[in-house]
Amino acid sequence: MSYDLELINVGKVYDNGTPAVIDFNLIVNKGEFIAFLGPSGCGKTTTLRMIAGFESITSGDILIRGKVINDQPAEQRPTAMIFQNYALFPHMSVRENVRFGLDVKKIAKPERDAKVERILDKLGITDIGDHRPDRLSGGQKQRIALARALVVEPDILLLDEPLGALDANLRKSIQNELKLLQRRLGVTFVFVTHAQSEALALSDRIVVMNAGRIEQVSAPYELYTRPKTLFVAKFIGRNALIPGRVVAFEGGGVTLDTMFGQLVGSAHGQTPGVGDAASLAVPAEAIDVLPLETPLETIVATYGGPAIKARVESISQVGHIVQIAAAIGAEAPVLVEFHVDKYAGHFAERAEVLLAWRRDAATLVVH
Amino acid sequence: MESRLLKPILAVYVGLFLLFLYGPFIVLGILSFQQGPEGGPQFPIQEWSVFWYKHILGLAPPSRVSPLPIGISLTRSLTLAGMTMVTSTVLGVMAAQAFRRNFKGKSAAFYLIVLGMIVPGVLVGLGSALVATTTGLERHWYSTAFATHVVYTLPFAFLVMLAIFNRFDASVEEAAWSLGVPPATTFRKVTFPLIFPGVLSAMLFAFTLSYDEFSRTLFSSGREQTLPLAIYSTFAVEIHPNVFAFGVLTTLFSFALLTVYAILMTLSVRRAKRVAIQEAV
Repeated sequence: MSYDLELINVGKVYDNGTPAVIDFNLIVNKGEFIAFLGPSGCGKTTTLRMIAGFESITSGDILIRGKVINDQPAEQRPTAMIFQNYALFPHMSVRENVRFGLDVKKIAKPERDAKVERILDKLGITDIGDHRPDRLSGGQKQRIALARALVVEPDILLLDEPLGALDANLRKSIQNELKLLQRRLGVTFVFVTHAQSEALALSDRIVVMNAGRIEQVSAPYELYTRPKTLFVAKFIGRNALIPGRVVAFEGGGVTLDTMFGQLVGSAHGQTPGVGDAASLAVPAEAIDVLPLETPLETIVATYGGPAIKARVESISQVGHIVQIAAAIGAEAPVLVEFHVDKYAGHFAERAEVLLAWRRDAATLVVH
Repeated sequence: MESRLLKPILAVYVGLFLLFLYGPFIVLGILSFQQGPEGGPQFPIQEWSVFWYKHILGLAPPSRVSPLPIGISLTRSLTLAGMTMVTSTVLGVMAAQAFRRNFKGKSAAFYLIVLGMIVPGVLVGLGSALVATTTGLERHWYSTAFATHVVYTLPFAFLVMLAIFNRFDASVEEAAWSLGVPPATTFRKVTFPLIFPGVLSAMLFAFTLSYDEFSRTLFSSGREQTLPLAIYSTFAVEIHPNVFAFGVLTTLFSFALLTVYAILMTLSVRRAKRVAIQEAV
């Protein structure tokens, strides 16, 4: 059985010698929704453009459905791309835009027109079929771009920050539509974004990239709760990072010597060596804030480990969410978020508190 | 405060600019209505008449002033300008398209093309005449002169198209390719309609520059004269107001050309605006 898309040791070096993408390995199953996530300049768009055939690759292989397509020009690849600015043809009507990709294919006119009407109908843009794209709203343009790309029935749909130009509310609703559409059609989507909320909400798996390299490939929940690298821990969600040195590693659990004494976390598939510099990443949601006078036995009984001392630096409330920034020494303050109703008595600023979490919520991040 | 002073200064500046731009033409226009055939090319106007216009069109009674040899040379100049326009625009678009990518020797090629509008025209004309003589090539307006005209106007068409492509959003082309449309079809159906305003400008440049080209043509066109040469050779003997009348007619022709250009431009700029709106959203 072959996969829909395979990238094997793919690398890209620009003419001036700067590497854009380094040793990119990824295997995508049919019907998967993959997101490339990372800060701007991390190589995610370049990778997408290499799959589309707009950029050449310097090394490695790209396979679609088992066939190497390294040297195939863009128009011969079974991919279609959605652009951030939609890239609609301004001199054609909506219907002509959608029909354009079919015009060059040798299919009978009635069949072609039926396909166009079907996709217009599916995306709910039949009534604007004769309009020019210029005066239409961002959401409508987005649907036209989708219809235009999907009507040629690509194996893989590539989306380059497709929601970037939409306002927040519209983004949410199009985001949902996109997910439903992808489920219904069963087409493989590769989606580039710098917004983690989009990646976390939409994709089956997220490829986090930084400086041209893959940092981690994981399902959203796992990525959120189990970062593998320092970059991911800092980039995704809000993790408290406690630096230290590995002192013991056995049975998937790891013990770190930190400024707060010995703390335990999950190695989660990683195999650190004793003595390695590492950090424990604790998602902000997993951290509880306790009064300073809480007895140690209670804490150990509840959380399976000790708590660390912190000082409340600031408290802010956004709607029903309370955010506390707590200083834990030299490191950046830990941000803790919880529902307004979680703690009856609120904590005062500058108050000394304890921070505790279940020991398996902490993940080892090797430096 | 500043703008109170600035505005009148700018107004005077614009006034002077217009005066220098159109002053000669207005004088020329007035003198073209001089009485004929005795009236000379100077003030005062002895009597208003359209004699010289009739003279140009061959409707005036025969007189000591020989008719302007414009008929055949006008046809020549228009044909040459048309040929030059088409060739330079096609080459200019193609060259600018090539310059969208990086290739070895790109900047050398750029200066080589642009050199055509920088080198002194007399030298180019003389040079091409020498080359033609040495190689035994006959000089004609449609061969040697045509070549010098293309070399001269190509850089203008090229630079116009370079500027157009500079602002062109290439993602529409990529979108077409990714839909399975081959590059040639993409250029014809997507790129060309969108760069058409620029192509029009390049055509206008090439046409007008070739139409009144003098120095290069002087040496390279052989015996058959183009319009600017024909007019100049009548100056060499004696100037009559018929040249002015002809100047007025040519200018009116140029305005007609500009009007056509403006109409075509408005139509395609409307489209270009739509692109801009689409990009801005």
